Amino acid sequence: MRVDGKNTFAAPVETVWKQLIDPAVLRRCTPGLKELKETGPDTYQATLVIGIAAVKGTYAGTLAITEKRAPTHCKITLDGTGGAGFMKGEGTIDLEPQGGGTLLTWAGDLQVGGLIAGVGQRMLGGIGKMLIGQFFKCLEENLGGGA
Amino acid sequence: MKPAPFQYLCPRSVDEAVDQLARHGDDAKVLAGGQSLVPLMNMRLARPRVIIDINRIDALGYLHDDHGVLHVGALTRQRAAERSPLVAARCPLLRDALRLVGHVQIRTRGTIGGSLAHADPAAELTAIFAALDGEITARSARGTRVIAAPDLFVSYLTTSLDPRELLVEVRIPALPPDAGWSWMEIARRHGDFALAGVGVVLAGRRGVIAEARIGLVGVGPTPVRAARAERMLNGQAPSEALWAEAADAVRAAVTPDGDIHASAEYRKHVSGVLAQRALREAYSRARMAA
Repeated sequence: MRVDGKNTFAAPVETVWKQLIDPAVLRRCTPGLKELKETGPDTYQATLVIGIAAVKGTYAGTLAITEKRAPTHCKITLDGTGGAGFMKGEGTIDLEPQGGGTLLTWAGDLQVGGLIAGVGQRMLGGIGKMLIGQFFKCLEENLGGGA
Repeated sequence: MKPAPFQYLCPRSVDEAVDQLARHGDDAKVLAGGQSLVPLMNMRLARPRVIIDINRIDALGYLHDDHGVLHVGALTRQRAAERSPLVAARCPLLRDALRLVGHVQIRTRGTIGGSLAHADPAAELTAIFAALDGEITARSARGTRVIAAPDLFVSYLTTSLDPRELLVEVRIPALPPDAGWSWMEIARRHGDFALAGVGVVLAGRRGVIAEARIGLVGVGPTPVRAARAERMLNGQAPSEALWAEAADAVRAAVTPDGDIHASAEYRKHVSGVLAQRALREAYSRARMAA
């Protein structure tokens, strides 16, 4: 399923970019992140605990940042597996100046399979979007403090 | 399909239930009607360590009217409310929407409180609760608090209730006297979750709308109150043109997500169509001449 969205930040493109690819920020802002290990340049192994309603699950997976064109574009690939199902996703992030700040546009394709997809199909896209939204909101708060 | 092992607790009073919630918190789930929780457990998507079954707390099964507000105990079954003469007289919108919640078997077990606490984005009851400015009372070991509709729903299946809190009562204001109402929804099959649904209340005097309420489900992470459309209707004389204008405002108020059942564009479009039909029907039922 396709998910996309836009976020605006008060900080300039370079500042947003630095935050975006900073493992410390990834660690702080990824919803439900329990563990993040750098396994190579821009490649991470992650453990997430995500609970929506009664469905709580631990997911282990990899996350890679590729096609980096600092400071305006990158691609993120992730896949994960957990008790409730598996997930594969690919998305792009583009930054462009807007006034004194930054407009961030993201779009991705998310595939969710296994048990969770059978039952949760109706809400998966929305929940994915909500979690991604939480990440960017955290980024925004970070920048609000530092910029 | 069988659930993963869990510890079963069966409190006989609210105090006992609240104590157990305080002890087990995040590890526990409250079981009321179980129409959402039990399937999730049987598929082992949900594996709560502790189940706190409130079905034997007799004090929580009531439905009465107090100064124009319906008080619904946390254990009142949806089917009981649907068949209640009190609900038919004071809040027929609730009765009409209840008829479309799952099937009779589901409503016979499912509770009003459980549906609100579960906060499914397509659950009819959430829109009615929002449109009528309902509130709930929650109890925990730390005390009692009242949560009003706009503060209850946070996102998909997420409310502002703490895991240590028990929803004990739902309050839904009755419709104004002489008000018209309508519930309209579109689902793939009868009993399925609505792709989009809308509840409307219209009340007025001397041919002018004084109070319009519009709530929607299935078109976002939480129920949507179409406040701008409501304001646009208030003070106006009913007409087809007005309904069309309000329907546009409803479309503008929703930002649905698409899924395999229906695209975002379809849901947005249908929200307006349903709102227009619901306004027409609500007006036909309202007694606004006097």
